[in-house]
Amino acid sequence: MAFWTILVKDLRLELRTRESLATMVVFAAAVILLFAFAFSAAPAQLRSFTPGLIWITYFFTAVLGLLRTFGRENEQEAYDLLLTAPLDRSAIFLGKLAAFLILLLAAQLVSLPLFVLFLELPLWEAPAAFALILVVTDLAIAAVGTLIAGMSLRTPAGETLLPILLFPLLTPILIAATKATDAVLTGQPLENWDFWLMLLLTFFGLFVLAGTFIFDYISEQ
Amino acid sequence: MKSFHAIRKNQILVGITLTVALVNLWMIYQVAPVVAEQEMAQKIFYYHVPLAWNTFLAYLVVALTGGAYLVTRNPKWDTWSLAGAEVGTLFALLILITGPIWATPIWGKSWSWEPRLTTTLVLFLIFLGYFMIREFGGPYERSSRYAAAIGIIAVLDIPLILTAVTWWAPEVQSHPQMEMGSQPASILNVFFFSLFSFTLILIYMILYRRHVGELIYRRLTREEGANHV
Repeated sequence: MAFWTILVKDLRLELRTRESLATMVVFAAAVILLFAFAFSAAPAQLRSFTPGLIWITYFFTAVLGLLRTFGRENEQEAYDLLLTAPLDRSAIFLGKLAAFLILLLAAQLVSLPLFVLFLELPLWEAPAAFALILVVTDLAIAAVGTLIAGMSLRTPAGETLLPILLFPLLTPILIAATKATDAVLTGQPLENWDFWLMLLLTFFGLFVLAGTFIFDYISEQ
Repeated sequence: MKSFHAIRKNQILVGITLTVALVNLWMIYQVAPVVAEQEMAQKIFYYHVPLAWNTFLAYLVVALTGGAYLVTRNPKWDTWSLAGAEVGTLFALLILITGPIWATPIWGKSWSWEPRLTTTLVLFLIFLGYFMIREFGGPYERSSRYAAAIGIIAVLDIPLILTAVTWWAPEVQSHPQMEMGSQPASILNVFFFSLFSFTLILIYMILYRRHVGELIYRRLTREEGANHV
């Protein structure tokens, strides 16, 4: 129950301000544009770079989204008030995770066409496979992202600490997502890259479980 | 509180650690045979591999004592965590230095994306973040809790990082030289002695750092107490 309350609260807040989504989409668009200019010299090799470009863009976008969604909680000590509510802490974690996941997916949905437009991403060739990779990777990013943001953004140097802590922890995710995307782009069948999906799902499962336990301890006053 | 080296059992530990380390040096250079195709370059493995084993031992201490700290809130566990993290990260840095030293003459290039070395690099970066959250994480109690959580998350991440970087570059195979288990007894015995020696060094360093950590904590709480009064 508390899970839904948090999820609906975060989404409603986002729908009213559209602050995080707008920031994330505009940021992603700016980065994609930069990439398009930076790599315009080598359109032939572009395809081999595209998986990396996509995921680097969305790693940064995810950090930006976390900064906005959790940063908002710091305003007028909203987060401290939330923690004083008689809620299960793990429900707060899962609720914020789900809300952030939806936000990230929404931002990607809006900005992915730019990859198609500017960087010739052949999205239409295997839309289902792309969608699968996107969802599974976002699950993994959201699990660790929510956990780390829940800590780092409550510290004085939070904005700088978040990417410093998050990116090394997400190394396996970047590798798995890039490799899986690359496999789809080169038209390989699912059994050639399904182990990357398994890795991503394992990562997600492990950190959702760990987060559910740890979040209780880290989210005290 | 007595200083670390004024305590009897610590003096004994220092004596044993130092003796074993010196014997270890002698064994590496005098007892162990020189491997034909690698010559002296192979010697670095008596440092590199024990360092690696002990790094993971140290990080295991970080995760376990971090968990104990989160549950009990006893600052004693936090000093263990910090000691394990600092010594472990120092050892990780030494792995990252000794690896390329060995690889330069043997592989002809300093850095290869060998899975275990790459995993160590990622872990090293994670633990730099760990120290940052300790440093900039706000009040002592809170930053310790956050650090404990990061320590646990980092150790949980190890198998995933290792799996990912192994699959990421399957063409970079572990060099057969690294399989210590298939070495002749003359090399293996020296290796295990070296492992023992480095484990002693690890224990000594963690104990020493923990002792210092406790002194710092006591001074910190005394000062805080004074401010409140």
